[in-house]
Amino acid sequence: MSFLSFAWNWLRAAHQWQGSDGIPVRILEHLGYSGLSLLIAALIALPLGVAIGHSGRGAFLVVNLANAWRSIPTLGLLVLMAVLLGFSALSWLIPLVVLAIPPILVNAYEGVLGVDRDLKDAARGMGMTPWQILLKVEVPVASPLIVLGLRTAAIFVVATATIAAEIGLGGLGRYIIDGLASQIYPEVAGGAALVALLALAVQVAFVLIRRVVVPVGLRMRARSS
Amino acid sequence: MVFVGPSGCGKTTSLRMINRMVDPTEGRILLDDRDIRQADPAKLRRGIGYVIQHAGLFPHRTIEDNIATVPLLIGWGRQKARQRAHELMDLVSLDPAMARRYPHQLSGGQQQRVGVARALAADPPVLLMDEPFSAVDAIVRASLQDELLHIQEHLHKTIVLVTHDLEEAIKVGDRVALFRPGGTLAQVDVPDRLLAAPSDDYVAGFLGFDRGIRRLSFFPASALNLETDTVVPDRTTVAEARRVAKDSGQPWLLVTDTERLPRGWISTAVLEELPAAATLSQAPLSGYGHTFRVASDSLRAALDATVLSATSRAVGVADDGRVVGVTSYDRLRTAIHAAVASAPQETTAQETTAQGTTAQGTTARESTAQDGMSAS
Amino acid sequence: MIWSYIPANAALIRQLTIENAVLGIVPAVLGLIIAVPVGIACVRWGWLYPPVLSSTSVLYALPSLALFIVLIPYTGLTDTTVIIPLTLFSLCVLVPNVVDGLRSVPEPVRQAATAMGFGALRRLVQVELPLAIPVIIAGLRVATVSSISLASVGQLIGVSSLGYLFIDGLQRDFPTELYVGFVMVIILALAADLVLVLARRLLTPWQRRDARAELRVSVRPGTLGEGVVR
Repeated sequence: MSFLSFAWNWLRAAHQWQGSDGIPVRILEHLGYSGLSLLIAALIALPLGVAIGHSGRGAFLVVNLANAWRSIPTLGLLVLMAVLLGFSALSWLIPLVVLAIPPILVNAYEGVLGVDRDLKDAARGMGMTPWQILLKVEVPVASPLIVLGLRTAAIFVVATATIAAEIGLGGLGRYIIDGLASQIYPEVAGGAALVALLALAVQVAFVLIRRVVVPVGLRMRARSS
Repeated sequence: MVFVGPSGCGKTTSLRMINRMVDPTEGRILLDDRDIRQADPAKLRRGIGYVIQHAGLFPHRTIEDNIATVPLLIGWGRQKARQRAHELMDLVSLDPAMARRYPHQLSGGQQQRVGVARALAADPPVLLMDEPFSAVDAIVRASLQDELLHIQEHLHKTIVLVTHDLEEAIKVGDRVALFRPGGTLAQVDVPDRLLAAPSDDYVAGFLGFDRGIRRLSFFPASALNLETDTVVPDRTTVAEARRVAKDSGQPWLLVTDTERLPRGWISTAVLEELPAAATLSQAPLSGYGHTFRVASDSLRAALDATVLSATSRAVGVADDGRVVGVTSYDRLRTAIHAAVASAPQETTAQETTAQGTTAQGTTARESTAQDGMSAS
Repeated sequence: MIWSYIPANAALIRQLTIENAVLGIVPAVLGLIIAVPVGIACVRWGWLYPPVLSSTSVLYALPSLALFIVLIPYTGLTDTTVIIPLTLFSLCVLVPNVVDGLRSVPEPVRQAATAMGFGALRRLVQVELPLAIPVIIAGLRVATVSSISLASVGQLIGVSSLGYLFIDGLQRDFPTELYVGFVMVIILALAADLVLVLARRLLTPWQRRDARAELRVSVRPGTLGEGVVR
């Protein structure tokens, strides 16, 4: 039997869609954990990234951070937190936030850094205050990269939240981990299929967010380059 | 042969048709009487040197390996190719110590020289140059142009050079092809005749309104009848000098040293004030300004020197710096008049226009690309 | 932290490290081998690039665990089940880098090569690829580090790697084992990164030497945020 047939059979069964272990509940849980972590990470990393990109100080830190963070084993971090902090909210929240911060930070930094010097100069020449330049020129021009950073972080957060089921978290990963433990492959396949679909849905959501947030002129410029 | 014209006139495209970087829609190009379209493009190009504006040196190879590229490509041994590279570095006046360096370590002017050396490495009979000196500053450009002329004196290659700079075209070209916007030829001629007899208003406009004076650069300074009686060595006494000045009727005398190198001007008014027995060696002299070389400079250079001089007289020297004579506006006038009168004028304008218009309508330049021409 | 754990289990740790290394390096290398021709094709036939890029973007968004699971009916619980998805992830990173690297060759250089009589293949091999090396290696660094790290997730489906120390440490509630696993993955990944940086240095003697620039990361807009690590 192929993966798809396993998954499809499992998904079709009516009882999957009801109750506290039902699919809708798990989807919402997954989105909840992911969304919360992303939000917290963004609240930390966006201002920090913009500030560093704007002032140019601390750049060395950012540069090396980007390189090193990819080496962090997600499963390892989750398990470490669980053992040190017990099975509490922090044990999954901290790793998710920690893994989400670098892409948001680096992209925000690069985005602001890459704003054309001439643009900032012209804005200053027109009489804008430093804050106005930041908010009306630098951030909008950096917005494509900023959104990209959030989108990348979202990929990692959704994926890591799946793995976090290993340390007791709910969400779609639950099906995979429980299924593996009980050796029920259809459940594992169903969970995997759902997670994959969710991940794609999140990406589509970000495409829409980009359309809303990023000014039209910039979107077109990025496409033509 | 120099192709010159405004931007977008097709001069670069025409050049690139010669080594088949671009293929013409109509017409043929013959190299040594053979249609280049018969040849394999890659092989064809190995026999044609190509120099471009930003050199296009391989950043990942050393200078000597860059120059040795085509020889290696056609199968010379590494030893022989590198040796050739060193010869060429010498030819283009590059310090041999640069051989193992990389392009990014050289200046723009140096990189261009490497570009020229690279193009000449396999000793191709034809050399194509596309705005080779446009990307460097004016001083470097002038010296590169001089070097090109110098190299050409040794090598006698067929060179086709594209430039948007008319001065460069006139300075460097044996023949100049002026393009109209849109790609047709306006006039093909030697620089002197081009300046003397533009075939139409477009050409005249392109040449600019000082072409009369620019044309003087084609007349040799040796045509001048220089004044020699007003040249006196500094051991002459003031009394002697006064006598010379009175005999010649000129207000200024040129004082030279024992080697006959110029020292400066002295006016007759000053001579009156000095003690008769003193020699000129201690006398106050006015600077002699810019000199011109009688054997190798042009009437234009002589005129320029005269205009710049405070005394309205210029000093003509031999190649070793020794004074030959002095010129004044009068003498210049005579020489210029004689030169212009004897040079061919209006009758040839018809000829050159006819040559230009036969090339109209096609995008390939048959006649101008033939390898029958012996020089640029 | 119980230090005696380390010497007591040195053999195990070494074995797991080697397994993890293989699971991380093989996908990166396979990814490179596939990405280079694909990238060359995308440069040669520009219309290929947008669909290829879209496909890799979609692929990259999928969680690694899900992809491992998708393969189980076909390749069982073997190393291959982990290697294939990680190879695909490496491809997602490497194809844009190969394309960017080739496109970064300055136009005058390419023109000069053609004009000197280099055929298209020779030009590719002798001029364009060598000049693309820095950008390609940047992508290879990202692919290798990510693969080494993600390989440990394979432990969840029983494919042996340093991830074993995580699962075992969790079950035994034994932090020391976790620390060891965590640190070893990071060391392994960063060591691989360093080797690649040195390789780049060796392969590109013509590049300017600038210590800061060597480790620099810059993000190429339009990719999935996988920065081009230069």
